[in-house]
Amino acid sequence: MSGFEDADTEETVTCLQMTVYHPGYQRSGIFQSIRFFNREKLSSSEVVKFGRNSNTCHYTFQDKQVSRVQFSLQLFKKFGSSVLSFEIKNMSKKANLIVDNKELGYLNKMDLPYKCMVRFGDYQFLIEKEDGESLEFFEIQFTLSTQPLLQENNWLPEPIPECGGYSSSSTQNNSPVEMGENEW
Amino acid sequence: MEKPLTVLRVSLHHPTPGLAAFANVPQRLQHDTSPLLVGRGPDAHLRLELPHLSRRHLSLEPYLEKGSALLTFSLKALSRKSCVWVNGLTLRFLEQVTLSTVNRVTFSGIQMVVHIEGGTSLEAFVCCFHLSPSPLIDRPQAEETDEWEGVPQERPPPASGQQAPGHLGFLHGPSQPSPGRATETQLQREPPDSALHQPRWPPRASLG
Repeated sequence: MSGFEDADTEETVTCLQMTVYHPGYQRSGIFQSIRFFNREKLSSSEVVKFGRNSNTCHYTFQDKQVSRVQFSLQLFKKFGSSVLSFEIKNMSKKANLIVDNKELGYLNKMDLPYKCMVRFGDYQFLIEKEDGESLEFFEIQFTLSTQPLLQENNWLPEPIPECGGYSSSSTQNNSPVEMGENEW
Repeated sequence: MEKPLTVLRVSLHHPTPGLAAFANVPQRLQHDTSPLLVGRGPDAHLRLELPHLSRRHLSLEPYLEKGSALLTFSLKALSRKSCVWVNGLTLRFLEQVTLSTVNRVTFSGIQMVVHIEGGTSLEAFVCCFHLSPSPLIDRPQAEETDEWEGVPQERPPPASGQQAPGHLGFLHGPSQPSPGRATETQLQREPPDSALHQPRWPPRASLG
């Protein structure tokens, strides 16, 4: 019997797909420290920081407009649920973080919807979550978009239903324009 | 003028002789706005010397609820092997709960009572530790059954609702509005005086 047949069943891993856009992505090299199209595995207990300071942040943006720590992401499990969720927290005193239509001030945090647009300054992030089984790890994969993910007034989330947030498909009609891997 | 720091008055008890588990616990620990890690490992901000403790056992994370000027704290269980009991709730790996003004926490035989005194500084918070030779919480793990009397011990099925049952009003999802720092409902759920031994605090030190 081959080793392949004997091997343990591989667990799927929760993954955040982050498509990023900044109008100055070409000239200033702001994303030079980010490895695009690479699924990076992180410990589920890690608080992942995004910002300018390479000593404290896991993902850095080479841009003086960005705070030393701009925002953080971390996994958690809702009480009694087996599904892993993410929460996002604004760590910047200077800029608000906009998650879909919600504005987060300094140290405000919220659950990340399955699919959402996160913005600060000229930065745009389309974040999509793929569920997995592993409780030990999660993954983040970055994709660069060469076109804006959001045009002004083009990202109009549906009114919030009384019973809760948006459905994961609620953004389908407003899908941002993404460049395919082969287009740039 | 410097803004006052939020103070977490933390009483600790463990039945080891001479409170050896707390040999590395300082009287006062100031921490920035990142989560404060409690555990056995070298990266823990509060290191406790117990072999059964995980390297990262739990974290205390400060954050601001929308519209609030004072820090709120959530406690998250980071141990894959064991649970953390918080105000009668059993938290498993990666589960978290918002803390209220007075909180009873037990894990790995440690009893911890956390009393939060709000300050307006958003730069940092400070923990003041008090080591108690006597137990702080009566029947620490029976709290759950107190809350669930007559209710089956099964947890709700996944995705059956994110809100805990009404009688577990301590629990909030991270983005759910808090009932406040010490609502009437929460106070009703505080244990009787006999169940919670309030530590005697030394005179409050000047902070900041």
